[in-house]
Amino acid sequence: MSDLAQTSQATKAPFISLAKPFSPEDEVALREALKRCSPSTFEAAVQFRKTGNPEHLPAVVIGVVERYVEPELRIKLKDAADDLRMIEDLGIDSLTMMEIVILVEDVLHMTINNEELRNLRTVGDVKAFIDCKVRGLPLPKPTKFLPIEHIATVMPIQPPFLFINEASVSSLGASGKYKISGQEFFLQGHFKDNPVMPASIMLEALGQLAVLYLLEGLVPEPGKQVSSSMIYFTGCEGVRAHRICKPGDILSLSIKPKRMKMPLATFEGTIRVGQEKAVIAEEITLTFGFIDAVVPPVEAAPVEVVSNTSTPVASAPKAS
Amino acid sequence: MPRAYITGLGFITSIGNDSRAVEQSLRDLKHGFELYPHFDKPDIPCKVVGTVKGFNTESTDQEDWTYPEVYSFKRELLRTMAPHGLYAHCALIQAIKDAQLTDADVSNESTGLYTASGGSPFLTHHFHSRLQAVGVMRCSPFGIVSSIVGTLNFNLVAAFKIKGASCGFSSACASSAHAIGFAYDEITLGRQKRMFVVGAEDGNKDAILPFAGMRTLSLQTDPSLASRPFDAARDGFVGTGGSTVLVIESEDEVMRRGVTPYCEVLGWGQASDGYNVAISHPEGAGLEKAMRNALQATQLSSDAVDYINAHATSTLIGDVSEVKAIKAVFNQPNIKPLVSSTKALTGHGLSLAGAMESAFSALAIQKGFTPGSAHISKVDPACEGIALLKKTENTAPTIVMKNASGFGGANVSLLFKKV
Repeated sequence: MSDLAQTSQATKAPFISLAKPFSPEDEVALREALKRCSPSTFEAAVQFRKTGNPEHLPAVVIGVVERYVEPELRIKLKDAADDLRMIEDLGIDSLTMMEIVILVEDVLHMTINNEELRNLRTVGDVKAFIDCKVRGLPLPKPTKFLPIEHIATVMPIQPPFLFINEASVSSLGASGKYKISGQEFFLQGHFKDNPVMPASIMLEALGQLAVLYLLEGLVPEPGKQVSSSMIYFTGCEGVRAHRICKPGDILSLSIKPKRMKMPLATFEGTIRVGQEKAVIAEEITLTFGFIDAVVPPVEAAPVEVVSNTSTPVASAPKAS
Repeated sequence: MPRAYITGLGFITSIGNDSRAVEQSLRDLKHGFELYPHFDKPDIPCKVVGTVKGFNTESTDQEDWTYPEVYSFKRELLRTMAPHGLYAHCALIQAIKDAQLTDADVSNESTGLYTASGGSPFLTHHFHSRLQAVGVMRCSPFGIVSSIVGTLNFNLVAAFKIKGASCGFSSACASSAHAIGFAYDEITLGRQKRMFVVGAEDGNKDAILPFAGMRTLSLQTDPSLASRPFDAARDGFVGTGGSTVLVIESEDEVMRRGVTPYCEVLGWGQASDGYNVAISHPEGAGLEKAMRNALQATQLSSDAVDYINAHATSTLIGDVSEVKAIKAVFNQPNIKPLVSSTKALTGHGLSLAGAMESAFSALAIQKGFTPGSAHISKVDPACEGIALLKKTENTAPTIVMKNASGFGGANVSLLFKKV
């Protein structure tokens, strides 16, 4: 324990410090800290601590998360899908989340505060968060879960041509679901007596998710916002359909931004049904444009912010 | 007046990890002491402990712990436990099974749980050392709930989904006797139909060794001589840990479920010495009053009692003051009740003692024996004048009195009756 104490003291300030070489004592402490994690987790942590190369981070983070997930749920982490939800899918409660954070802090020599913790809802969030911290980049926007009502409110596309039922959006990308109900108007003719979801519509669904990302996930220029009436499709490349999708199938859509260069935004997209690949698009490109942000009317500071201290709001001294 | 009955028992003790083993040890006067490896150091004068067998809770990392195969624990449960929390969880499983309770019987608004333990100095020490060494933000979020005095009820109430009354009692070595007394009150006042009473202690180095500083531990190196209440050569108590759970139920519940209870809880009394923070009153004044209060509450005359399971821990002062108190209460030409201290076999379970020894009494009543006071070769002249039972008798007592005394001069006397 004393070794551990010294090393964490020594590297307290920066997220990662290579000022001090990774000593055999560090390795012993690291092995002890990760004794219930897989050998590959330990290896990745050693490599990270030796080189500071963030490439090793996902393996460390997944390894630490895995160690705290009940054995019967660990299989879910094998695919390491970034949209796995910590609470709902992995059974990790807020206390376990804290255990994970403490071990990650210990192993990577970084500090994570409570505010930051609250936003980490998916495995992808956790990986992205730690990656940003280590690289010293601004932290990603937390994942937002958007129900259909919200989606329909913000999107320029409306039923019956909206192919997203629910979605979650962060600054790193978006994922969503669409259930083929069988009631879609075009299925009557596509095909005769054989309803099959058109590949062009599936590509449309990915495009719609990219639109949702631009509206809800993109961090715009200061004072600007993306205009919902200025987004149009410009092109796509490398599209392949792997699976016939029929009524009853639930499409799991996901897109990730590849390039952002005004006025073009390029994404990669995939659709899965369960674990099966359905559609892949290497590139989907949209055009978009900014308008001036609508400044919300100035309101009084929210009460919660003030009442974080034990001083009652009403009696909080202003002049003194 | 509504009545209350003991309908289930569970044991993780130095003399057995189930009621069958405990009964056998009590009948055969087989002790649970061993030379304790952690005390095998020149600067530690005491050597013997009443060890819990079949468990290994030496590590501060709960996932390293081992326990008998009949039990299984998810990490989620273990991570917030102190060693005595593990023992208590196992004993509670036994008690629930023994009382034939369904899940619905355990988790409802009419079923509560009272606990008694001294917390876990072992884990408290660990967490505070870590706090000093690596800073508070690298400390386990479970440091508090796994170690402070309430850890037993926090864990058990959550794990067993207890919905009724719950709290912990803290009157040192009288704690779990208090818990039984107040559980009896909950039931007879009609507030609860069923109460679990849980006594438990870590019984490890951190829990026991500080008593050596008070010069209250036996320095004997022979495990079969270390704990000998009432004996002239006694030189202090032997520490022990583990857990005992009692299920206490209302008469209506006993009838509804059609179970046969171990015995009836007749009632109880308590009184305090108002004398010294750590030393018992030389005349046993508080304990005498507690016994009188118990008799008065149950409207029994003193000659109705035929066995006293004494608090006697094998300390020089404590045993004598209890004998004086007994003599004062049972002031007849021939003092009738047989007296023994089962701590001669188990050691002193501290907060666990009252519950453990009440459970021994319930077992004795139902299984038909009266446990003897082991390891007496020469009775201390100051302890003469009471009917010390040196060998276990194969007859059941009808009315049992169970005494318990704790620091600050807290005294509890409980009465149990054969049904």
